Amino acid sequence: MTKSIIILILLSLFVGTGVWLFFIYTVKKGEYDDIEGPKYRMLDDDDEPAETKKNE
Amino acid sequence: MAGTCHHCGLTVPAGIEIGETYAGKPIRFCCRGCHGAYLIISGAGLDRFYRQRTWPESGTPEGVYDVDFDDSTLLPYVVPVGENLSEVTFLVDGIRCATCVWLLEKVVGRMAGVENIRVNYGSHRARIIFDPGRIAPKKLFSTISRLGYLPRPFNRNAIRDAASRQQKSLLIRFGTAAFLSMQLMGYSLALYAGYFHGIDPGIRQTIQYFAAAVTTPVVFYSGWPFLAGALRSLLNRAPNMDLLIALGVISAYVYSLSALFVGGEVYFDTAAMIVTLILLGRLLENSARNRSMSGIDRLLQLAPDTARRTDGEKTWTVQSVNLNPGDLIVVLPGERVPVDARVKRGESEFDESTITGEALPVYRGADDPVTSGSLNLSNAVTLEVTCIKAESFISRLNRMVEDALNRKAPVQSLADRIAALFVPVVIGTASAIWLYWFLAQQNPEAAVLNAVAVLVVACPCALGLATPTAILVATGEAAAAGILFRGGDILEAISRAGLVAFDKTGTLTEGRPVVTDIIPAADIGREKLLQAAAAVACGSNHPLAKAIAACAEDQQITGTPRERIATISGRGLVAESDAGTVRLGSGRFLVENGVDPGDASVRRNTEVHLAVGSTWYGRFLFSDPVRPEAGRTVADLAALGFETVLLTGDRAAPTREVAERLGIGEYHTDMTPDDKAAWISGAQRAGKIVIMVGDGINDAPALAQADVGCAMAGGTDIALETSDLVLTRPDLGRLPTAARISRKTLSAIRQNLFWAFSYNLVAIPLAACGLLAPIWAAAAMAASSVLVIGNSLRLGRQLKKMLPSAPQDIRIHQ
Repeated sequence: MTKSIIILILLSLFVGTGVWLFFIYTVKKGEYDDIEGPKYRMLDDDDEPAETKKNE
Repeated sequence: MAGTCHHCGLTVPAGIEIGETYAGKPIRFCCRGCHGAYLIISGAGLDRFYRQRTWPESGTPEGVYDVDFDDSTLLPYVVPVGENLSEVTFLVDGIRCATCVWLLEKVVGRMAGVENIRVNYGSHRARIIFDPGRIAPKKLFSTISRLGYLPRPFNRNAIRDAASRQQKSLLIRFGTAAFLSMQLMGYSLALYAGYFHGIDPGIRQTIQYFAAAVTTPVVFYSGWPFLAGALRSLLNRAPNMDLLIALGVISAYVYSLSALFVGGEVYFDTAAMIVTLILLGRLLENSARNRSMSGIDRLLQLAPDTARRTDGEKTWTVQSVNLNPGDLIVVLPGERVPVDARVKRGESEFDESTITGEALPVYRGADDPVTSGSLNLSNAVTLEVTCIKAESFISRLNRMVEDALNRKAPVQSLADRIAALFVPVVIGTASAIWLYWFLAQQNPEAAVLNAVAVLVVACPCALGLATPTAILVATGEAAAAGILFRGGDILEAISRAGLVAFDKTGTLTEGRPVVTDIIPAADIGREKLLQAAAAVACGSNHPLAKAIAACAEDQQITGTPRERIATISGRGLVAESDAGTVRLGSGRFLVENGVDPGDASVRRNTEVHLAVGSTWYGRFLFSDPVRPEAGRTVADLAALGFETVLLTGDRAAPTREVAERLGIGEYHTDMTPDDKAAWISGAQRAGKIVIMVGDGINDAPALAQADVGCAMAGGTDIALETSDLVLTRPDLGRLPTAARISRKTLSAIRQNLFWAFSYNLVAIPLAACGLLAPIWAAAAMAASSVLVIGNSLRLGRQLKKMLPSAPQDIRIHQ
């Protein structure tokens, strides 16, 4: 009983730590620096396919 | 008929025929520049820009397009990143909406050699990663300026960097606390369930160890800002909220830790929750505050970094900081003056709204002084430098704003003042309890237990939530109604303020002239005069000419626009007609050309005369109209108990007229930006809490100096960003509303604090006697927190009823 509880708790801590590390990575990468722009940016996808640049 | 330019939205001047056919319909442009920009945009297949953008008017001030960049001046701003790649970061002026961001990213992003471009919509900063072997930074900058935006390289500012690092570290601290608290919740749930239903002591012990393990980093890492603040407040002997928080957190933590080893209930969740919730409040407040920092960056950029030096024969580009008094520089139309100087050769009109707030251009001829930051409007002039850059007006203004911001003591918040009283009381009580049990009862164990119990129940959970929750709710509701508070202390400052100082031009008035009187010559009809004048005026961008054209349009008088209209700086406009030369301009201009401008009896207002050939047709009088809602606003403020005062750079006569009309008793005229800030600081020394309302760059020091600086949408960026309170609609009526919101919120905060204290008042004596079972203490704590949060939500509903319905679109980034 005690053993299984410890395993479960450690498992949840392990998963949580993964998410936490990912969060720190996103903060350092500057993902939250512009919180205004993205909501408009999502509306801006091109009418034409965006391959033009790749073909240059 | 003159239409509007397809690209910039300005009226197409008379006699300009630049056109294009798009989808079978003709479209027109006001100049070659706009046509060029259109060709770039449509050539790149980005026509959607014109359908998508949401502003009807031009994005940039006139005349900023002709900026030439060269690689040597841009070089210091280019940073190599990795192999074959470099990065350049700069500010982009003229960004109005998300479509501008879209356009810039698409056009620049498609250039060969550009790896990546990101434009930050909030801070107007762009970052380009490019291959310097394939494209020169000069090309990037000139493409952006050809699109009609002005790129400005800037140096990284140490203070700003520190602020953004601090914001990031706060975010990480909060993220960590939230993650660990969530884990802790699970353990606490098990422990509470175990308390009521029984739990195996072994499992209980294990879970308690885990709880201790996750709480430790929350207290010592996430909670470090509070612990450091508490230490500082102890050293300064000024108890504040930080100390109270730290006291609660540490005592709950230490108590639980000892209970863990001695056996007993643990309260790790209390410690972790206080830290997490209060960090969240700090985080929100900090991000609002950080926005005001970028204002100073943009202010410095008003004076260009480079200047065109001349020795009479050739000209070359130099850094503005290297200019010395006596050097000669050339300033072209559309450029800003880099340093304070005097006109040596040539004459031109300058937009000095930076310095005076006055929208009308001023004429500067030989030997007249020109101030840095003013915009040259009409002719190229040669200037003699009179002042080095560091001593020039813009640098001085910048220092004034910085000084005022640094000097400004934060308004001591209600919670802090209460903490200052409460902390010594709590510590005193706890020590007294300890002494009583230790000395009188000879029971050291009960002494420690009961003393700590007092500290734990006095834990400021509800007290800590009382202010932030109410402020969060109020600022949210207010923002939806177009009122932005930059931080919670602003609400408190407004509700305690007693004096409102207004700027005149652009704040109480519209900031642009309108025609108030048309006085025709004896044998000329009013309509004929207006028609003849409008035909010339519609070819100019001068504010007075625009006012005449607008007046003609209002009265539905149309005239055929004249062709080849010439502007003569400081004098007026000239055009040819069948009846002779048409001259529209100052009285002096007419006299110089041998026309007698009639009788000169009325001289009070700005006036413009019209003559055709040698016949005087009549004159126009102008004034700057008062905003329609200004009168009601001043009356409302008076009803709320505010004193009002008018501070302006304008002359006495027009100021008196405005002050009398609005019922403002006290007014001060001919004030420089420095005078305004000094006047406000004087009022503050007299013990008044001052709200300053202004819009111009010249108001920036006063806005920064005042306890609450207030700016309206439509004001300059710098005014908006040095303000604590921003009205996102150009509607003064929102100022009294903001005052009402603040008062209502403060009363809700007082109620919250009252509830939090009632809890303490009951719980502390019980804990002191050792009568309060820990589980009841915890339950009571939770109940008082819920009460406080509920009361804050009630405030939200009350405010919703009080506020006008939310405006359709809220845009502060004008």
